[in-house]
Amino acid sequence: MHVIPQLIVSTLLLGGIYALIAVGLTLIFGVMRVVNFAHGEFLMLAMYVAFWAFSLLHFDPYLTLVVSLPLFFAAGWASYRVVMRPVIHASHNVQIFTTVGLSIALQNLALVLWTADARFVRTDYYAVVVRIGGAAFNVAQIVAFVVAVGFTAGLFAFMRWSYTGKVMRATAQDRQASALMGIDTDRVYAVTWAVGIVCVGAAGVLLAPIYPVYPTAGLQFVLIAYVAVVLGGLGDMVGALIAALVVAAVEVIGSYVIGTAWKEVLYLLLFIGILVVRPAGLFGQRGAEALGT
Amino acid sequence: MSLLSVAGVSKRFGGIVANRGISFDVVPGELVGIIGPNGAGKSTLFEIITGFYHPDEGEVRLDGTRLTGLSPDAVCRRGVARTFQKLRPFQGLSVLDNVMVGALTRTKDVRHARERARELIRKVGLSEKADAHARTLSTGQRKRLELARALATEPRILLLDEVTGGVDQRTIPELVRLVRDLHAGGLTLLVIEHNMRVITAVAQRIVALHLGEVIADGAPDAVARDRRVVEAYLGQAYVQ
Amino acid sequence: MSAIAPAVVFFAVAGLAPLVVRDAFLLDSLVLILIWGTSAAAWNVAGGYAGQISLGHSAFFGLGAYAAALFGARWELSPWLGLAVGAVVATAIGLVIGYLSNRLRGPYFVLATIAFSQVLLIVGSRWRGFTAGSEGIPVPFRPGFWTLGIADKRVWVWIVLGLAVLAYLVQLYLERARRGYQLAAVREDEDAALSLGVPARRLKVAAICVSAALTAACGALWAQYIGFVDPFYVFSVDLSVKFALAAIIGGLGTALGPFLGSALVTTVETYLRAQFGGIGAGLVGIYLIVYGCALIVMVRWVPQGLVGWIGDRLRRRAVARVAP
Repeated sequence: MHVIPQLIVSTLLLGGIYALIAVGLTLIFGVMRVVNFAHGEFLMLAMYVAFWAFSLLHFDPYLTLVVSLPLFFAAGWASYRVVMRPVIHASHNVQIFTTVGLSIALQNLALVLWTADARFVRTDYYAVVVRIGGAAFNVAQIVAFVVAVGFTAGLFAFMRWSYTGKVMRATAQDRQASALMGIDTDRVYAVTWAVGIVCVGAAGVLLAPIYPVYPTAGLQFVLIAYVAVVLGGLGDMVGALIAALVVAAVEVIGSYVIGTAWKEVLYLLLFIGILVVRPAGLFGQRGAEALGT
Repeated sequence: MSLLSVAGVSKRFGGIVANRGISFDVVPGELVGIIGPNGAGKSTLFEIITGFYHPDEGEVRLDGTRLTGLSPDAVCRRGVARTFQKLRPFQGLSVLDNVMVGALTRTKDVRHARERARELIRKVGLSEKADAHARTLSTGQRKRLELARALATEPRILLLDEVTGGVDQRTIPELVRLVRDLHAGGLTLLVIEHNMRVITAVAQRIVALHLGEVIADGAPDAVARDRRVVEAYLGQAYVQ
Repeated sequence: MSAIAPAVVFFAVAGLAPLVVRDAFLLDSLVLILIWGTSAAAWNVAGGYAGQISLGHSAFFGLGAYAAALFGARWELSPWLGLAVGAVVATAIGLVIGYLSNRLRGPYFVLATIAFSQVLLIVGSRWRGFTAGSEGIPVPFRPGFWTLGIADKRVWVWIVLGLAVLAYLVQLYLERARRGYQLAAVREDEDAALSLGVPARRLKVAAICVSAALTAACGALWAQYIGFVDPFYVFSVDLSVKFALAAIIGGLGTALGPFLGSALVTTVETYLRAQFGGIGAGLVGIYLIVYGCALIVMVRWVPQGLVGWIGDRLRRRAVARVAP
């Protein structure tokens, strides 16, 4: 029986990447109370960055990763300043439509600039297969997993021990009190948004050698991230981490049992089911969803 | 014969007991005050009476019919209206439309509801503001608006949460007079009030809560002198 | 509360235009303006009047489109029947989403509606045996009114206008009638509305169901008019955003707003498509970039929409005229 170890390792590898996407999303929600509907578009842009760096400059995606971190931090910071800052104290509906507008604009900017063609990053080691305990995987997946886990751990450490991370957590708990304590909440939001974008930017570069990139490529991943984030409890980073693994397991086992064509239906139904049964997530407090916070 | 009867109501949130075996009655035409330090369970009790919370034990009856288990809108239609401690006017609607929403619970005719709303707006002294958006009102005006809105539902008993809270000193007498007028008009009222001077002046009877339990129930001056009530408030003062 | 006069003018112009205009391009634009305007008005019933922001309304539109197409292509029945069945199915799904709206608020509700339209997208594009899968369904052209096989675009204007007026009247009802006042209260503050005896939950569900049925009817007419149903278009999030955008640009919770918004959005889209469509397939996306930016700018700077903005201007001018 080689199926079970293969399924377990597949789940872990997939879950690692999903976690990185979900953690950025949930961080932004936790601190800023904004659901970033443009999260997937930043992922897509990162995949394009990896693609162009590879095909024009012959950069290996893992080299691009290093370059893209400051790039996406800057992109995040700029998009906060221009788009998010004016609506940071506006109603939920205004914020929702702002990020949705950003999502549509970015998606179609990519369409106009680079057409709808699916593009691939074909590295030399693309086809190299590694065997782990009877399960087979290509190198890119494993590297992506390792880097994603390292990155997520780094983010947790940052949130736990750095001064900025502490300030971010304080703001997440009570933005008014933080403002009264002299915390520059505007700066905190800018950093939070930028860090969230860096996470998803890193995930995008890591995904580039594995999946094709096209203007709407972000949607499928970000839908998974939404599922994970809601399942883990919006704003709960540890919850998102665990939930990403759960969603990955559902996807891997679902693909195995009912085929890849219908696996999306499975996690979307899971998503709707969670929203109905436990909207505050597996570990969250009940009632948050009704308060709309 | 009591109009409102609260019988053995208990409510827990996790490990915290907000209400423990609360019982009291309100007879028709009475003005009953509810007092107690912060966290005594006054607001929780209001939420239970109006159907926003369901009690873990006990029940609330209006004129003999059970309210417990009904949804908040059904409780209102039975004749229990309320105001909110943290004021909740419909910000985007005009004062007139705010009050009309209440009136439309009793009539299906929009024109009739509009007339009724104008009447009540005059009664609470907001006529000049009738067409203004609710968000442009001052706190005192918002209190009047909530009062008019609640009255428009033609309640048999009106629950007021903090009549004078958050209002400047000059406005307090006007609001107190308004409450007195309503009572004089025959309305039954249950009033939460922090200001002891205000409540002892208007209430016929006071129920004092402390840590979720009734610690005194009787005439205002008797309750104000009650040893346990004084302790509860003094204790609160020392903590602060 | 808005005056009826501008709406009467708008619909009269739309209804009389076919008597004068012979240009197929203009008539086509008019049909599309009315279809998208009606869809936006339908969205407005839930999003504007009831305050239940959905980004999954394409689910209802697609259901209507598929119902009409399948009734014609698969069973050779009247697309009118398809429209009715689509509206009924959409109402049923509206009940489920309405139930969700009573449990979820803000972003949670939006996410749930998106998930719904995605589920239908996957079903529509993968269930080959029933829906023809990702290739989509060509709608057969069978001449006649009962089969909605109409080549004359003037007749299309009048058919769609009928639905548009219905949607307008539904909105007007929500501005003038008792249920409308109550729904506005629910939108502003649900708990306060409940405390005043408003059956908030039932009203929200009803609004979402009406909105769903109207949207499905739009989808059915659209499928019949265009002649082809592509699952990736009719169930897309972009389409849901388009409904919302037209309503927001025109004015959330105003009866004529969605139609004015649609006139603007559809015209800009048609113009940009004509301008850039030929150069390269990708450039078609330019109008969507404009959509996205317009959405960001509108919700921030002109939240009251065109109708509110024009209203403000007129009032200010009236005041200025009286003042000196």
